[in-house]
Amino acid sequence: MELFLYTALFAPLVGSLFAAMFGARPKTKIAGIVPSIMLGVSLISSTILLVLVLTTGHTVHVEMMTWMATGDLYIPFGFVVDQVSVTMMMVVTLVSTVVHVYAIGYMDHDAGFNRFFAWLSAFVFSMMILVMSDNFAGLFIGWEGVGLCSWGLIGFWYKKESATWAANEAFIMNRIADLGMLIGIFLVYWNTGTLQYDGAFAAMPGLDTATLTWIGIFLFVGAMGKSAQFPLHTWLADAMEGPTPVSALIHAATMVTAGVYLVVRSNELYALIPNVGLFIASLGAFVAIFAATMALVNRDIKRVIAYSTLSQLGYMFAAAGLGAYWVALFHLMAHAFFKALLFLGGGNVMHAMNDELDPFKMGGLGKTMKGTMILMTLASVALAGIFPLAGFFSKDLILEVAFIDHHFIIYTVLLLTAGLTAFYSFRIIALIFHGEDRHTALGFHPHEAYKFMLWAMAPLAVLAVIAGALKGSYFEMVTYVLPATEYHVHSATTYWIMTIGTQLFVIGAIYFAYKKYMSKDIKVPDGTSKMENSFAYKLLINQYYIPYFYEEYLVKPYRELSTLCWTHIDQKVVDASVDGIAKAFYATGENTRAMQSGNLSTMLKWMVAGTVALLSLAVVFGLAAKYSGEIKLFLSGLGV
Amino acid sequence: MEIGLNHYLVLSTILFAIGLVGVMRRKNLLMLFFATEILLNSVNISFAAISHYYGDLTGQMFAFFVIAIAASEVAVGLGLLIVWHKKHNNIDLEQMSTMRG
Amino acid sequence: MLDHILSILVFFPALAALLGFVVHKDSMRSYGVAVAAIEFALALWLWFAFDNNVSGMQFMETIALIPTFGINYIVGVDGISLFIIILASFFTMIGIASLTDTKDVKNMIITLLFLQMTMVGVFVALDAMVFYVFWELSLVPMLYIIGAWGGPLRIYASVKFFLYTFAGSLVMLVGMLFMAYFYYQATGQWSFAILDWYRLILPESFQLWLFVAFFIGFAIKVPMFPFHTWLPYAHGQAPTIGSVILAAILLKMGTYAFIRFSLPLFPDASVFFMFPIAILAIIMIIYTAMVAYAQKDIKQVVAYSSVSHMGVIIIGTFALNVEGISGSIFLMIAHGVVSGALFLLVGVIYDRRHTKLMSEFGGLASVMPRFATIFGIMMMASVGMPLTINFVGEFLSLLGFYQQSHILTLLAGIAIIVGAIYMLAAYKKMFFGEVTKEENKNLPDVNKRELIALVPLVIITIWLGIYPKPVLGPINTSVEAVVQLMHEKAITEEAKSRIPSLDIIINKASAKEVQ
Repeated sequence: MELFLYTALFAPLVGSLFAAMFGARPKTKIAGIVPSIMLGVSLISSTILLVLVLTTGHTVHVEMMTWMATGDLYIPFGFVVDQVSVTMMMVVTLVSTVVHVYAIGYMDHDAGFNRFFAWLSAFVFSMMILVMSDNFAGLFIGWEGVGLCSWGLIGFWYKKESATWAANEAFIMNRIADLGMLIGIFLVYWNTGTLQYDGAFAAMPGLDTATLTWIGIFLFVGAMGKSAQFPLHTWLADAMEGPTPVSALIHAATMVTAGVYLVVRSNELYALIPNVGLFIASLGAFVAIFAATMALVNRDIKRVIAYSTLSQLGYMFAAAGLGAYWVALFHLMAHAFFKALLFLGGGNVMHAMNDELDPFKMGGLGKTMKGTMILMTLASVALAGIFPLAGFFSKDLILEVAFIDHHFIIYTVLLLTAGLTAFYSFRIIALIFHGEDRHTALGFHPHEAYKFMLWAMAPLAVLAVIAGALKGSYFEMVTYVLPATEYHVHSATTYWIMTIGTQLFVIGAIYFAYKKYMSKDIKVPDGTSKMENSFAYKLLINQYYIPYFYEEYLVKPYRELSTLCWTHIDQKVVDASVDGIAKAFYATGENTRAMQSGNLSTMLKWMVAGTVALLSLAVVFGLAAKYSGEIKLFLSGLGV
Repeated sequence: MEIGLNHYLVLSTILFAIGLVGVMRRKNLLMLFFATEILLNSVNISFAAISHYYGDLTGQMFAFFVIAIAASEVAVGLGLLIVWHKKHNNIDLEQMSTMRG
Repeated sequence: MLDHILSILVFFPALAALLGFVVHKDSMRSYGVAVAAIEFALALWLWFAFDNNVSGMQFMETIALIPTFGINYIVGVDGISLFIIILASFFTMIGIASLTDTKDVKNMIITLLFLQMTMVGVFVALDAMVFYVFWELSLVPMLYIIGAWGGPLRIYASVKFFLYTFAGSLVMLVGMLFMAYFYYQATGQWSFAILDWYRLILPESFQLWLFVAFFIGFAIKVPMFPFHTWLPYAHGQAPTIGSVILAAILLKMGTYAFIRFSLPLFPDASVFFMFPIAILAIIMIIYTAMVAYAQKDIKQVVAYSSVSHMGVIIIGTFALNVEGISGSIFLMIAHGVVSGALFLLVGVIYDRRHTKLMSEFGGLASVMPRFATIFGIMMMASVGMPLTINFVGEFLSLLGFYQQSHILTLLAGIAIIVGAIYMLAAYKKMFFGEVTKEENKNLPDVNKRELIALVPLVIITIWLGIYPKPVLGPINTSVEAVVQLMHEKAITEEAKSRIPSLDIIINKASAKEVQ
């Protein structure tokens, strides 16, 4: 079985290195095909492992080699395939395979084709390390690795200022969170003596709550960065500067869910500190609605989808924070499928519209892009949580969890968010595919994407539809390692009222979105309408002025302080004082040089003066030595 | 009143002071030599006086040494002075500043 | 030959340098490369013959110099110094091999070979006087390299470098003399042998004063804030090879000396000064990182970044536990490799454009893709990406210090944030965006000679990042002995509790040979 584990893990690396060999050469198809095949190999291996885990319940645990060993610290490259990690492996390899194949078409005309696949496969490799590692240090390798690849891919079109800026922003913001994660890891090591999951979690019940709380908080800070939770969320929307397949794979399906994975993986820790859990759940619920509101008005389809991702991550954290780890992981999985699908559909639209992202400039694209329309609508229905698609089973479950645990505020917030989600999802669907044709007037001539790109998306579509049906067997599998709490509303009546109520609410939101945005009066907004000048709209379109705040009150002061440190402190204080000492020596020399005038009589005078000074010193010391007793007496009389 | 050691020492101190002032104030090199001689001889007087006072001849021997060295010093010094005078046509101390730092 | 390998390592380059005066200047480069390659091979042989399980000194040699005063030529190597020696010989080799665009190559190579003697000498010396002599001698070739081959401000920079570090080491010399005197008082014999000194237990008040005396010498060399200002000038004016050697090896003398002298000689003082030094180191990390961010000259960015990373090394050293000290020694190697490589990379671009201002560049990623890739790898190593060499060192250093103080580690950890800020900003300015300057449109990518220097560094960076064990193992063994020694020597309660006891028996055999 180890063979399959290593194949699943290293096949993407092989693909990445293969593509990297062609990095500086002109585009070749083979640099895209080989990584895709390697990803397929990885997918097959993962599936075999899944079947093994599913049928036998065994887990595979290997230790490849020592990484760091010093003092009492021992960190191996160890990998574990258990019920949780195999779920993640399946999600990662499946979505990546689809995205790779899709990207062969999507990046077809890009000069950096080879480089793209090198980065993309490297990302998958890092992600696999992240999910398969059996210790916190290995997790951190993957954690930083995906951050690196995300940097390279957001800034893939490095000639664009906005892209490189967004890449750096993402990297640095993640670094802030990574510091928290690192501190969490240190805490784990010094308190449990190991970084291996099994050893560390086994030792945790013996620690005091304060320590555990700190561990939980610091690890969660790490998760906040990667999963773009408030207040470290701004990078995710800006990350949409990267190519769309990247957004689909990294910023929707896999990397951003790493934070959720971390919390799920550390469930034994968070189970011990329910207060931190509650905080996570509250923050999750807050982010869910916070992001959803920003998605309501945004005029960039990728950003809308990004905010929706953020919002769904909030759901996952809400579930994980409330202790429903398997629900969080299930939603993670379902979300990966339909959100990646949605993004890839968005990519098709972008291609058709020559990278135009404003849905108000589209309209009526459904006529030319039937396939994409169907896929995106399907994904949106799944996202909105309509029965019987995936979202219904995973997202409604989170609502139930909140309800059953009597966290009614969280429940209400999440319910409200479900309505908003449905609204903004279908707002863009309606604006893009339905209604009046607004794009021809602007000089766009859309065309459907390559057939194989649509076929590549098909598996995701299928999974978005049927994922709900997998719930039973999934539950049985993951509860080997995760707490098997079943969430059932006590009375059947309440259950049905809730379910049907939610469904009606969501359908209402969809209807409202269609009604509002399919009308013939929709025009490209020009900043004159009443709505656009309202305070709420301004607040939302400016993302609550948070990016502005960061720029004005963090970035700029840092830059100015840096310059100040250099020009004023370093040069004018630190260095100047060193030079000052040297200058003092020089000045002393310069001034005393006058003594050496060469004039014999002056020199003789100095000589006499020196002799007199020495003589008087000798006399003074002689007297002092002679009368030391009296002097001491005198001084003590003075009270010295 | 008998002339005692103190008188010699006072005379020596006075001579030394005169010599010292001469060394510091005189601008003429020749006068400087004279002042130096006065300094040295003031010391000689105290050497001789103290030697006599203690009845130890070492001091008087030392005075002879000083006289010999003073003589040789003056010989060398006057030689240099004459050379300097030939070259610069004066023996003014203020002019001698070639060793300025 | 193996019995005298350390002396050979020290004096072979010097002899070869003397011979170099008669070599014709056209064949000087190949002569230099050959000598450096032999030296490197010898260093590798040393590693091969090195016994990883011995914690004490190996390959010791003793020759009496001034026995009355206990000054003897004693050399030896342990896990702490072994890899820095290898690194020194490695960098001299690739430094000579990649020399480009230099006038008077012959004298440069001779100077470099002399420099190599002093560098190896410092790291193998086990007698304080011999150590001091090599320590000071190393200034001379560097003075020449900066002063003769440097930029427009070279005289100012080289004199500043020389006087500043020299002034510091004089204070250190006083400390050494006092240490020897103290040994005389205690035993009735003079001795400057470090291993003899290890056995002395000093009263705490003496320790504090002596620690400060040594600290001033070492701190200026490191250079620690606020003694760092000579470094940007030295780097800014030095030729590429000078900066490479300075950053890769010479700075390590200071941190190495902390571990060789300060910690085992003054364990109580080390504990006493742990927090003040840690605070200085944190200021050094954050402050110089901010200064680096404000720079306009790419070489200054790298120079300040190297100061910032030295702060992490100091933090690791003063963690006073095995994890931290091992980490800091590993980080010395890592920092040597990475900052050395970054200076080489800056040299590559300087050779082409004769400017180091970042505003002169932009969009180089499309013009020089290979260069951009290597620079990118080294930049990521510099910001501490896992699976690169720097991460192992930084992780262990910070992990170690976490045992001593949580909040200070959190502050020191800001290194990974601020490090990313200035490095990414600099990379963006240099490599991203459109090519705006006409001169940059046809810049040639890295050539073969440059690749010879850079590719091995990339390989080491990644290899030791993935598999640090061959280096970390010997370091660990020796560090455990140091920590145990410190624990045993500590007199105050606080020091006993801060420095962990490892319950291992130190191999005292090597120490006895000195007698």
